[in-house]
Order: sequence, then structure tokens, then C-alpha cells
Amino acid sequence: MKHSERTFGDTLLRVDNITLRFGGVKAITDVSFDIHERQIFAIIGPNGAGKTSMLNVINGFYHPQEGTITYKGNQRHQMKPHEAAETGIARTFQNVALFRGMSTLDNVMTGRLLKMSGPAMRYYHRQFADMPVINYLTYPAMWFGDFLLDSLYWGPYQREELAHRKAAEEVIDFLEIQSIRRTPVGRLPYGLQKRVELGRALAMEPDLLLLDEPMAGMNLEEKEDMCRFVIDVNDEFGTTIALIEHDMGVVMDISDHVVVLNYGRKIAEGTPAEVQADQDVIDAYLGVAHEEDLIEK
Amino acid sequence: MTADTFPKLLDRNARERGPRPAIREKYLGIWQTFSWSESRAEVEIVAHGLAALGLKRGDRIAIIGDNRPYLYWAIVAAQALGAVPVPVYQDSGAGELAYVLDHAEVSFAVAEDQEQVDKLVEAMETVQTLKTIVYCDPRGMREYDQAFLHSLDEVKKAGEARKAVNRDFYEAEVAKGQGSDIAIFLYTSGTTGNPKGVVLTFDNLISMAEMSVELERIGEDEDTLAYLPMAWVGDCVFSIGQSYVAGFCANCPESQATFLTDLKEIGPTYFFAPPRIFENILTSVNVRMQDAGRTKQRLFRYFMDHAAKVGVKILQKEKVGAWARFKYWLGEILVYGPLKNTLGMSRVRRVYTAGEAIGPDIFDFYRSIGLNMKQLYGQTEASVFVTVQPDNEVYADTVGKACPGVEVKVDPESREVLYRSEGVFKEYYKNEEETRKTKTEDGWVHTGDAGFIDNNGHLKIIDRAKDVGVLNNGSMFAPKYLENKLKFFPFIQEAVTFGAGRDHAAAMISIDIDAVGNWAERNNVAYASYRELAAKPDVYEEIRKNIEQVNRDLAEDAELAGAQIARFTLLHKELDADDGELTRTRKVRRRHINERYGAVIEAFYDGRDEVHCEVETIFEDGRKGVSAADLRIMDAATAGTAGAEPLRQAG
Repeated sequence: MKHSERTFGDTLLRVDNITLRFGGVKAITDVSFDIHERQIFAIIGPNGAGKTSMLNVINGFYHPQEGTITYKGNQRHQMKPHEAAETGIARTFQNVALFRGMSTLDNVMTGRLLKMSGPAMRYYHRQFADMPVINYLTYPAMWFGDFLLDSLYWGPYQREELAHRKAAEEVIDFLEIQSIRRTPVGRLPYGLQKRVELGRALAMEPDLLLLDEPMAGMNLEEKEDMCRFVIDVNDEFGTTIALIEHDMGVVMDISDHVVVLNYGRKIAEGTPAEVQADQDVIDAYLGVAHEEDLIEK
Repeated sequence: MTADTFPKLLDRNARERGPRPAIREKYLGIWQTFSWSESRAEVEIVAHGLAALGLKRGDRIAIIGDNRPYLYWAIVAAQALGAVPVPVYQDSGAGELAYVLDHAEVSFAVAEDQEQVDKLVEAMETVQTLKTIVYCDPRGMREYDQAFLHSLDEVKKAGEARKAVNRDFYEAEVAKGQGSDIAIFLYTSGTTGNPKGVVLTFDNLISMAEMSVELERIGEDEDTLAYLPMAWVGDCVFSIGQSYVAGFCANCPESQATFLTDLKEIGPTYFFAPPRIFENILTSVNVRMQDAGRTKQRLFRYFMDHAAKVGVKILQKEKVGAWARFKYWLGEILVYGPLKNTLGMSRVRRVYTAGEAIGPDIFDFYRSIGLNMKQLYGQTEASVFVTVQPDNEVYADTVGKACPGVEVKVDPESREVLYRSEGVFKEYYKNEEETRKTKTEDGWVHTGDAGFIDNNGHLKIIDRAKDVGVLNNGSMFAPKYLENKLKFFPFIQEAVTFGAGRDHAAAMISIDIDAVGNWAERNNVAYASYRELAAKPDVYEEIRKNIEQVNRDLAEDAELAGAQIARFTLLHKELDADDGELTRTRKVRRRHINERYGAVIEAFYDGRDEVHCEVETIFEDGRKGVSAADLRIMDAATAGTAGAEPLRQAG
């Protein structure tokens, strides 16, 4: 990799003075940063620093009390997760969140759901999250015609299915998981499940990919594989990646830009080298002051 | 024009069986089929493209990657231009790769993907001749801007353009090729010293392919799985040679990891695998059966027992009672058929194995469920075929009779096997000395393997010729042959035999802790450690039975009857690669063992019943320690020889 020569595009996502409270608890306090196109952007910090909350704010799962998020030039105060997904934000989770009884292929295919174009499908995605099922059922003509043809696997629906299957297979090829295509994911080792989850996110063809601790709980070899894939995704598809990670070695190796959170506040920001040399960061991670207190007592 | 080169055979196939499948590849989860006429068109375009890049007659072009149609096409396209393809093992390290490229003076390379390109670029630092690299898979290649790198698509575009203005070029170049031209360089993975480049001509490869196609009645409707390394002579002969001669379809699996799935989907009619793969498949069958329900397990065991009794006889068309036949037929419906289907072998008409000795249990398992599994013996230098087992004459411990057109003899002095055929290689590239050592003036090739022709006229390979010794009673002593026989018993993990220049043979054995431990549990033998288990009299007794079984087998062979194992001991530790006792590929390092266990070896021959043994061991963290024990030495009964057979038949 020619990391030093990397160039980035415009700001893809701007986080402005975000504050997030749960009742009296301040999870995030006044945090701002910019993520540029094609960047690998890391959010690090000790446990409870607000990293996952930050990711949840970005993809619209949490709604911050203060501050704004500007994504692709559109400022928004609140955004629903499905809207985030429709505008090209995909994510993976800290604990693997796959359909355990379904095969790898089917799991990856669910990532294509938003790209499916049938009228019922489009309707489903727009409305379903907010609407009782019964309302949906009041459009019988729409779902009947659509689902019937879809289930008969005929005409344009067949063509569409094939196109999506091809896209899913390309992801499988990219992540080199052909050998587990038909295996129920519940039977797979953890490292592979993580890879399938990445596959599902990639199947959405995202512009911004959020990875919540992609290497957590992996052995060295799995970590190296995952690093390779993260770099390849960024390189091959130009996908912007924001990741949370505990493994400092990984963060320092693959990220272009690092933001450090501690107790919900941003304490440092910069290239990996800059952050590594920052005294606040060292203190936050090693807890020097606390340790001395303990010894004195 | 006779079709005496692969490009000419390709022309013939495109003409005579144009729409039939020539090669398949599983890509994005779907088997993509290319017909003979499509293959012919692809080869022509690639040939034009390579010519546009400057490849010309006599140049060497390296091919490196997994089995892929475009790599096969690149080989034939290069041959069409009169260049010499040099396939390289895809997992070879940069150093080994650089040696081969440098030695073959390769000027072009076709690589599958970024991984291989990286290795080639690294090798270019030392390989001055290499000037152009073509890669097939563009993934991860965006950052590479070196001028010597070209994508296959780019090459094909250049080829199209060149073809448009130079219409007759391809036909003219193909017509210039002759059977006596060099077809390919295949580097043999030397266990000692540097790899040697075996130079094979089209005549070599095509004569052997034609011979085997006729011998085994291989037709154009076969399907094979092209999954073994392209740099190996077998793949060259099976996936190009036989496929082009007979016109059948070679199928390239999706990846090495999906091999078993792909095998099941394709259901080849003709399958080759080294014993290791058959072992793995059998193990996975047994493991999966243990997870099955009780009824299924009982059904499986009942019919497998029946198959073990009559399956091989039925396969060999021997006389079997009607009731047994009926039960076998029932078993075929209930067990064998579904099992073969799961293994991807329900369409298999012939299965080959070669490379090393196969366990008789494994061999009989596959044959008993009705798979026509046979052993063959071959070498790169022979364009594969030396001997093959004829139908209905199949034994677990021979490699068969000489193929038609191949002469085989055994040197009576050194017991080395020699052969002569049309498939015999031209020379080792740039290595006259080795060529002269290996190939005699009148065309006989020294194999370096010791063997003999047994009572059935089959060739038995017993060991590397340099390891074979003689006992004081004049009998031949082949350590590896004995060790292989011993290792096929489940209780024996490793064995080392001694006997050259001694009065009798002796064996030092390390037990298989899993198998013996399991047995000890079931038989109420309490033990706390490997060392304690290995010293148990009951365990000694079990191993003695194994050794006496081997002795009885040996007694049936006049040549080996004198080399029965008279004494043995069980080691107090496993033989370990960390201690330098085995190589990383688990081959016995004899010289090292002779030094370490000198005291034990002496005790075998001075009649003692016990010996104190002390060896230095290296722990996993690198610390050293001494492992000492008093080992018991036990006698084993030897069997009488089978009559007054002449000691030597061969030669």
C-alpha cells in the first residue's frame, strides 16, 4: 500500500458539535469531526468513551440532543436508520448480528434488499418501519401482483433476482467465502461470521461503511485477513470507512485519520502518528494519574 | 496434417466437436462452460495478444496460478507461437520461484492474480530476463502502474486489433509446430538440491496421452476435475494431454477450499487424487457418520461390513452367492449409492491414485463400494505413465504392470527400477550431467526407486534406491516399505526400522496416543502419560500382534521374506519434527535417528531385553531437556517363507 500518497475527496460526512444524553448521562459531549471521501477513519477510545454511541448517531439509531450531521451536503438533525441505509450508509455490529439459521448466501442477499426495485419492495422499505402491518395489507393489488410474480420467479422478476444474485456472488468472491456459501452462518467460526457480516454490508454497495470493532475477538490470522479486506474494500470500491477498534496495532496500520474519544469528549484527532504521540491520549489509555493514586494509598 | 501438437489438436477438436464442452470454470457460483470452438477462438486471440507484446518462437513464458481456463489457454497460445510454457507451482516462495524463472530464462509471465504478481515483481530483481507480466484478475491491481504489467483484457484487445490486420498469422504459426518441438518445461520439486527442469516434447506428451486414452477407453463424454497444480506433470497430461486427445471436458474448481463441493457438483467420470485426499475424504465420512442417528449408523455399519466381505469380489467379477449379491444390491440402493453421490463419485468410471503408498483399508473401502480405484506409477520424466494396474488385477501394495509401449526392468544389482518409452523426456534443461546420470544412451531412465516384480508380474515399489540395504542373510532390506506397512495399523503413529548390514530387522515404534488411549479406556488399562502407556505390557502385546501380521505378509513375498521384524521396542516419546527426528512433512530422518538412538539400536542386536535411552528434547518454548527411560525390547515371531521360491525373479 502506498499510504503516504493517498488522496481524499471532499467531506462526505461532517459531525458538528454533537451532544447525546441519556437522561442525565452525557454519552457524547460536543464532538465534531469530518470524514472525507475514500478515507479510512478510526474512532478509538477506552471502554465507555462513547464510540459505539457515535456510530449509532451517524447511522441514525440515536438522535443527538444538540448538534448537526451533514451527510453528502445535506444537513440533518435526525435521520432514521432506514433512511441512512437508503442514502448509502451500511454497518456491521460489535456482536455479530446475522440470521444464524440462514446460509451465507442468503445473509449476503439480505444486503441487496434495498436495491430490489419491485413496487411492493420499494413501498415496503419506505413505509414498513413506521406503519402497522395491517395498513400495508390494505394495498392488496400492489402486493398481490408483485409478490405473486416474484414468487413465480418469472419475467422481469427473474432478471432482477439474477442481477442481485450476481452482485451477492461478487461480494462472496471478493471476500473469498465461496466454500461456505451454503453453510448456515450459525455453524461458522466467529471470524468467518464477521466476514459474512461485512459481506452483507458490502452487498448494499455503501458509500460510507461503519464497522463496529471488526477485529474484536479474532485471532492474529483472522485479524490480518480482515485488515486486508478493509483495505481492499477501500481501495477497490473507493468506499469511505469509519471504524471503531480496540486493537491499536490495527488502527495505526490501516487508518488515515484517527479521532480519540474519552468520557464522551474528543481529546485528540489527527494521523495515527500524531495521535500516538499525544500526551492526553497516552494518559487516557494508560491512566497514569489513577495508578499513582492507587499506589500512594 | 496430423495433429501432432496441442494447438493442432485444438484446431481438430474445434472442427470436429466444436459445440462440445472443452473446459469449465466455476465463477461467481455458476459453472461457466467454454466449448472447443470458443476455446480455439480464445487461444487465437491470446496468441495474437502475446505476439503483440513481443512473444516469439523459442521464448520461455512462465504460467503461475490456480487451475483456470485462461491459464490453460495461455499455455496453448504460447505453444501455438512456438514459445515454451513453464508452469510454476502457485504456492512456491519467491526464492524458489526466482530460481526456476532464472534457470529457464523466462522472458514472459502470465499470473493469475495480485498475489502471484507480487512474487513475480520481487523475483524480477534477480531474474534479468523477465520483462513482461500479464495478469488475469485485476483485483487489487489498481495501484500498480509499472509499464511491464499488462492485464489480460488489455492483451486480448491488442490481440483483436492484431488479428484484424494479420489474419493468417495464427494458422501459419500453428502449422510451423512439429511433434518433436519442445512442448513444456516442468520443474520437479527436488527433495535434494535445486529443482530440475524436465524438457518434454509434444511427441512425449501426446504419445502417452494417446496410449492411456486407448488403454482406459476414455471418450469425449468424460468429465474430470482439474484441481491439481498446473506445474505438475499429471495435470499437464490429464487436463491438457488427454483432454485434447480424447476431447473431454476439464472442470476448474472455484477455489482450493471448495474442492469437495465442486467435486460433488461435477461428478467426474474420471478422477485422480493422491492417497492423502482419499484419506481425508474417508475421515470426513466417518466423522459425519458419528453424528448421524442410530438407525442410520446401524444401517451404514451393516452394509459397510457386507461390502467389505463381497464388494471387492463383485467389482472384480468373481463368483459371489446370489444372496450376498442381493444384499449388496440392497446396500447399493440404501448406502453405497447415496454415499458415492455425496462424495461426488456416482459417475466415476475409474479412479487413480499414485504418489505414495495407500493404506490397504482405505483402498479397500473405496473399492468395496464399487469404485474402480487403481494405482499407477509414473514420473515427470516419463510423461506420467510407467505402470498401471489393469482392471480386475488390483492390489493395494503394487503399482501394476507396464503400460503398453513402456518397457520396465529392475536392475538386479541395485534393485533400481528402470523404464523406457516414447514418453521419456528429452533432457533436463541446462543440466547435461544430471541428464546423463538419469537417462542412458539407449533411452532407459533411472527412477531412483527400488522395487521388484512380484509373483503376479506386478511392479512393487519399496523405497528410494539409496535407502535400500541388505541383511546379513542376503535378503533385501527396504526400511520405508516396512515402515509404511507398520504405519497402516491405527495404533502405530511412526515407525523406524533397522537392518542394513545386520542379522535381522528391528523396529522402533512410537504409538498413536489417541488410538491407543481410546483402546486403553475401553479395556480398563489405566495410564497417566504417554510414557506410561507406551510401557504397558498390554500395549506391547497389541503391537506385537501388528508386527507379526506384517511378518506374515512379508513371508508371502520371496524377495522380502528374509526382512521380517524380529525385535521391536516402543519409544517413550513421540517422534517429533521439533527434535529433528522427522522432517516437517513427517519423513523419517534416518541419519539423525541413528545418532540419537544408537544405544537402542545396539540393544536390538546384542540380545538385551532392556535398554536405557536418553535423548535431548526441545520443548515448544525452545528450552531443552533430557527425556530418559528404560525401554523394554520384545521379540516378535517370524513366519516361515512360502516354499523354495527363487530369491530373485526380476532382471
